[in-house]
Amino acid sequence: MDRSRRNFCLGAGAATIGAAAGTAMPASAAPGGAALRRDGDPAHRWAMVVDVGKCVGCQACTVACIMENDVPENSFRTIVSTYEVTEQGKAGSYMLPRLCNHCEDPPCIPVCPTGATFQRRDGIVVVDNTVCVGCAYCVQACPYDARFINHETQTADKCTFCVHRVEAGLLPACVETCVGGARIFGDLNDPDSAVATLVRDENPKVLKPEQGTQPRVFYLGLDPRFQGKVDGTPTLWRPSNQAHAEKEHA
Amino acid sequence: MDNHIVEVINVTREVAWLPWAVQYFFLIGLSVGGLLLSLPGYAFAREDWRALGRTALLVALTCGLAAPVALLSDLHQPGRFWHFYVVLRPTSWMWWGSIFIPLYITGLLVYGWACFREELQAHGRVDSRLAALYRLASLGGGRNDALIRAAGLFALAGALLVALYTGAEVAVVKARPLWHTLFLPVQFLMTALAGAAGLVLVLNRFAAGNDRAVEVRANRLLAGFLGGVMLVGGLWLALGLFGLDATHAEALGSVAGSEAWRVTAVWAVAATALPFAIAVAKPAGTGLLTGLIALHGAWMFRWTVFIGGQTVPKTGAGFYDYALPAGPEGLLGIVGTAGLWLFLLIALTAILPSPRRPAPAPARAAQAPAGTVAAAE
Repeated sequence: MDRSRRNFCLGAGAATIGAAAGTAMPASAAPGGAALRRDGDPAHRWAMVVDVGKCVGCQACTVACIMENDVPENSFRTIVSTYEVTEQGKAGSYMLPRLCNHCEDPPCIPVCPTGATFQRRDGIVVVDNTVCVGCAYCVQACPYDARFINHETQTADKCTFCVHRVEAGLLPACVETCVGGARIFGDLNDPDSAVATLVRDENPKVLKPEQGTQPRVFYLGLDPRFQGKVDGTPTLWRPSNQAHAEKEHA
Repeated sequence: MDNHIVEVINVTREVAWLPWAVQYFFLIGLSVGGLLLSLPGYAFAREDWRALGRTALLVALTCGLAAPVALLSDLHQPGRFWHFYVVLRPTSWMWWGSIFIPLYITGLLVYGWACFREELQAHGRVDSRLAALYRLASLGGGRNDALIRAAGLFALAGALLVALYTGAEVAVVKARPLWHTLFLPVQFLMTALAGAAGLVLVLNRFAAGNDRAVEVRANRLLAGFLGGVMLVGGLWLALGLFGLDATHAEALGSVAGSEAWRVTAVWAVAATALPFAIAVAKPAGTGLLTGLIALHGAWMFRWTVFIGGQTVPKTGAGFYDYALPAGPEGLLGIVGTAGLWLFLLIALTAILPSPRRPAPAPARAAQAPAGTVAAAE
């Protein structure tokens, strides 16, 4: 691709990038109250590409996120969902890192009754936990089960793309720690960034595209059986609700 | 060949709308239903509806005053409730709810006062140490049908807005196919009306003089509401079962494979059809039974929608486990809300005991004049 053509494509913003993925819209034309965005630098549109084929399911990202963001016990801002897939009698593993999708049209924002959850102009969806009343409406509205109530702050909590690190010029903790290089983070508005290139050239998929949320977490090698609610036998291990309740009221 | 997926590791998202929310939607629904049932007797001055209307008004007031407490308790940061009132968030049905609830409760209290003013005035005429307080509470006036009607219509507007927002707030959640249906607001309203008629029947037995005419009328109303519940439920099921609508089919598909959900469905049908059949076949003498089952049905519907709905993962396989905690986020919340409601009922019926019913015709001359109420010693 020649430089001018690339500039033409990407000069219009993430619209063209997204069009390559079949899902995106430019931030400036995004629905869901783009005009109400605040904070952050609109010159950037942060996004993540997850190369499922490179994920080994080590959960280093899960742990790094917990340590970096002081996520309470039994809560997760990100986790690698792990599945045993049997096909034609042969069993294998499938790993799917999950996190907030920092959607272009995030359904969690319009439902918020206090404005505590909002989207920055660089696309990162955040929660101001000094304003949040803990009504959990956003928890219900998120199609990806990416939000939860933090029982230490009693407010809504979620992945922030480690916004405090990004603003300091660092990568999110999960990306920094990923041993397989499965998580790629960058600026969609930068045509030379790895994420922009991958989104443009590799035709990545997103989770639950039918929800119309236009996620900005893209997946390479996403098996369609894992794109929505997984039709399978439930997990063998879960954090114990009982243990959590006991801790809460200890 | 053997093809299947086993989920080995995933996150369990706990229920975020707690049993407090179930209690709120239950109580506010009963309150709205009670208000609607009270309107013919009071706001439209239909004397034959007056006794039923009085019991319905007790339902509306007691449930309406208890409901916001449950709602506030469902917030994980209840002390920040005022944050609702310092922003404009018209995209959020919950924000609209924060406007509609006080509007409705204010209208309800004014309407309730206007309806009971006649009784307050009568109590003020009784030789009692509290008579002065009753006279003060009646503001020196008595029955004023114009005032009752105006307040009733205002409260009705508030009630309709509450019914609209409570339904829409849940129905707009596209992420949960079970909730994302236009039927849900109608189902909330129909089950609320059935529950309110049920509570009228129960209170008629225990707190309103066990009036046979009220029982028969309330049972007939209940049968009508339950018929509506079955009709709407049947339509929802048909849309999902025959794949006429993708969202409904997805909603049905998300729970159809669960034994627990199938049992719940059969239970719900039984809890609707049984009181319907009893109320139609024998409206007299069965009010307590049909009333209790109807109340149970209205509560169970909300429990299933909220708690059951949140146990359906949005991305993961199977269902999340839910065990009712014993503390304030579970059983204690339910019992506490019920206790608050009972306290309000006892307080209200102590301040305003049921008027004495007229005696049978031969003894009428020996009874107090119509409109006289028991002294509130």
